[in-house]
Amino acid sequence: MKSLFKFFSSVKLAIVLLIIITCASILGTLIPQQRSTAEYAVRYGQLAGLFTRLQLTNLYHSWWFNGLLFLFALNIIICTLNRLSPKLKRAFQPKLRFEPKNIHSLKIKGKFMKNWNLARTKEELKKEFSARHYRLKEEDKENRSSLLARKKMLGTFGSDVVHLGLLIILAGGIISGLGGFRKDLTLFEGDSFPVPQADFQVRLDKFETEFYPDGNVRDWKSTLTVIENEKELFSKIVEVNHPLSYQGFVFYQNSYGWDWKNPSLEIWAKKSSNPSFLRKLQFKVGQRVNLEGENIQLIALHFLPDFVINDKNEITTRSNEPNNPAAFIEGWQGEQRIFSGWIFAKFPNFARIHSEKETDLTFELRDFKSSQFSVIQAAKDPGVNLIWVGCGFLMLGLALAFYWPTREIKVILEESQGKTEVTAAGIASKSRDTFQAEFETMMNSLRRSK
Amino acid sequence: MNESTLFLITFIFYILAAFFYFSYFFSKRERLAKIGFGTALMGLILHTVALILRTVESGHAPFTNMYESLSFLAWSAILAYIIIEWRFRIRRAGPSFMLIVIALMALASSPLMPKEANPLVPALQSYWLWLHVSVTLLGEAFFAVAFVTSIMYLAADSREKKGKAKKSGISSEKVDSISYRCIAIGFPLFTLGGLVFGMIWAYYAWGRYWSWDPKEVWSLITWFVFALYLHTRIVMGWKGRRSAVVAILGFLAALFTYFGVNYLLAGLHSYA
Repeated sequence: MKSLFKFFSSVKLAIVLLIIITCASILGTLIPQQRSTAEYAVRYGQLAGLFTRLQLTNLYHSWWFNGLLFLFALNIIICTLNRLSPKLKRAFQPKLRFEPKNIHSLKIKGKFMKNWNLARTKEELKKEFSARHYRLKEEDKENRSSLLARKKMLGTFGSDVVHLGLLIILAGGIISGLGGFRKDLTLFEGDSFPVPQADFQVRLDKFETEFYPDGNVRDWKSTLTVIENEKELFSKIVEVNHPLSYQGFVFYQNSYGWDWKNPSLEIWAKKSSNPSFLRKLQFKVGQRVNLEGENIQLIALHFLPDFVINDKNEITTRSNEPNNPAAFIEGWQGEQRIFSGWIFAKFPNFARIHSEKETDLTFELRDFKSSQFSVIQAAKDPGVNLIWVGCGFLMLGLALAFYWPTREIKVILEESQGKTEVTAAGIASKSRDTFQAEFETMMNSLRRSK
Repeated sequence: MNESTLFLITFIFYILAAFFYFSYFFSKRERLAKIGFGTALMGLILHTVALILRTVESGHAPFTNMYESLSFLAWSAILAYIIIEWRFRIRRAGPSFMLIVIALMALASSPLMPKEANPLVPALQSYWLWLHVSVTLLGEAFFAVAFVTSIMYLAADSREKKGKAKKSGISSEKVDSISYRCIAIGFPLFTLGGLVFGMIWAYYAWGRYWSWDPKEVWSLITWFVFALYLHTRIVMGWKGRRSAVVAILGFLAALFTYFGVNYLLAGLHSYA
C-alpha cells in the first residue's frame, strides 16, 4: 500500500503518463475513428482486425485510453495532496525560529548595521513592509527578533488549483458520458415530440432557411414551442449557436433536409410550332393531370433532387440537396403512352424525352416544393456545469501560478550596544528580478533613513 | 485605400524590418536593430488598420478563412515579438523571428489562398468566433517567440560549449529564461482561448463541449507538451537544452494544430 502510494506520488510517473497519453492521442488522429468495418478493411487490409481488437478505431472511448486517464487522474490527486500539506504548513504555520545560517544560503540577501535600538528598527522595518502590502509575523527574544514578511501567498497554490480544475473537468466528463443522452429528432412543421426522460413536449411551429444574396445559407431557424401538461409555455427561435434550454435539456439546430418522396411540381408545357402556347401545370408526383386542349394526360413518376448517372449506369440521386433537380414524366393519350423522359430544372434545354408518337410539345421543370424538415438535437448533459466550474478553477490556478508571485522575506534583528544588526533574505518562486529590485529598495530606504 | 493594398504595404514594412534586423545581425550595429524595431512597429500599426478595414468590409471577424487567419497570426506574432523585445531587450531574436512573420505573410498572399471575404456560414455566426480564435492565435504567437528563443538557446549553447566567447553579450541563460517567460504568457492564453473558449463555443454550436475532433485533440496535445515543459522545468529542474527541445516540440505541435489538421486530417473544424 505504501509503495503503491509512493509510486503514484512521483512526478516522473506523471511525465511518463503524459507522454503516453500524448502519443495515444496522436495515434487516434492518424487512424480515422468510428468508421465502418468495411472502410477499415479497405484502408488497413489484414491489420484492420487487429486495430479493431485493440480498440484503435474507437480509441478515445476505449477501456485502455480511459484507463490511462484514470491512472493520470489518480497520479494528479496523490501528487497534489502529497505536496499540499507541507505547502499549507508553510503558509499557515511558518517556522519563525530561523537562524542566520538559513539566511546565508539564500540568493537575495542583505546585511547592515543601524544606529537605532531594536524596537525602533523593527518599527521602521514594519512600516516599510506594510507600505508594500507584506503581511508580518514576528517572534521576539531578549535582544533578538525574527520577522517574516510575506505577500501573495495564494500564488503557491496556483498549481494545486489548476490540478483541482482538471480533476473537476475529468469528473464532469465522466458524468456527461454516463448520465447524458443525445438524440436527433426529425421534425416537420407542426410535429411535436415527447422529450425522452422529461415530462414536457416540444413542437416545431416553423422551419425556414435564410439565404445570402449569393445563394449561400445564412441561417436555419426553427421555432420551437415548449408544451407542459397541454399548456404552451413559451416559444423560441432556435438557430445554430442559439439553442433552447429548458429544465436541463438543450435543443440544438443540428441539421435539416427535404422529404423528396412527395414533392409538388410546377411544369410548363410549350409547343415549338406555336410560341404563344403555354400551359402551367401544378401537381404532385404520382398525380395525373390533363393538358388542356391537347387530349394528353401528364404524369410525373419520379423526382430526384440531385440527378446523377452513377458508375453502374444507374440513375440515382447524389445527395439530398436540390443541386440538380429532375423529374421523370410520361404523356398518355388514352391507353397509349406517347412520350416519357427526364426534365431538369437547371438545364431546361437538356430534356431527355423519348417520343413514341410525333409531338412538338416541350416541357420545363419550373419549380418544385417539398416539405422541409428540421433535425433538432435534444440533449441532456448533466456534467456540463462541472466542466465550466473546472474551467474556472483551471484559469484561476494558471493566473495565480503565473501572475501572483509569492514573496517571502526573512529578517533577523540583533541588538548590541544600542545598535541593531539587520540581516535579511528574500525568496521568490517567480519573477526574481523584480523581486530583487523591490528587496533592495526596501533595504536601502531603511539603511538611509534617519 | 482598401485592405489588400494596405496588406501589401504592411508586408513591405515587415520585409524592410527583416532587412534591418539582418543588417544588425551581420554588422552588430545596435542602431540598425532599433530601426528594425521601429519599422516592425510601423508595420504592426498599418496591419492593425488593415485588419480593421477587413472587418468593416466583410462585416465579420477577420479570421474566417485561411488568408484572414494567416494575416491575423502574423499580426499576433509581430505584437508578441514587440512586447517581448520591449520587455526583455532580445534583439538577437529579431532576424529569425521576422523570417517566420514573412513566411506567414507570404503564405497568406499566395494565390492558393482565396482572398475574397465570404459571408459567414451559420456555425461561425457567434461572438465566440472573436474570443476563441483571437486569444488562441495570440497564445500561439507567444509560442512562436519561445520557439525562436529556444533555437537561439541551442545555437548559443553549442557555441559556448565549443569555448567560443560570446560576442553578442546575450547569454544562453538569459535566452532560456525568456523562452520560459514567453510560455508563461502563451500557455494561459492558449488554455483560455483554445481549450476553455473552444469548449464553451462547441457546447453552444455543436451541442457538446468535447467531440474528440482532430483539431480538438491536437490542441490538447499542444497543451500537454507545454504542460510537460512546465513540469519538467519547475518540478524536475530541467533547464537549457532539454527545456528548449520541449518548447520547440510544443510549437511544432501548435503549428500542426493550426495547419496540418486542416490539410491532412478531416474533422468538424473544416472552416479554417
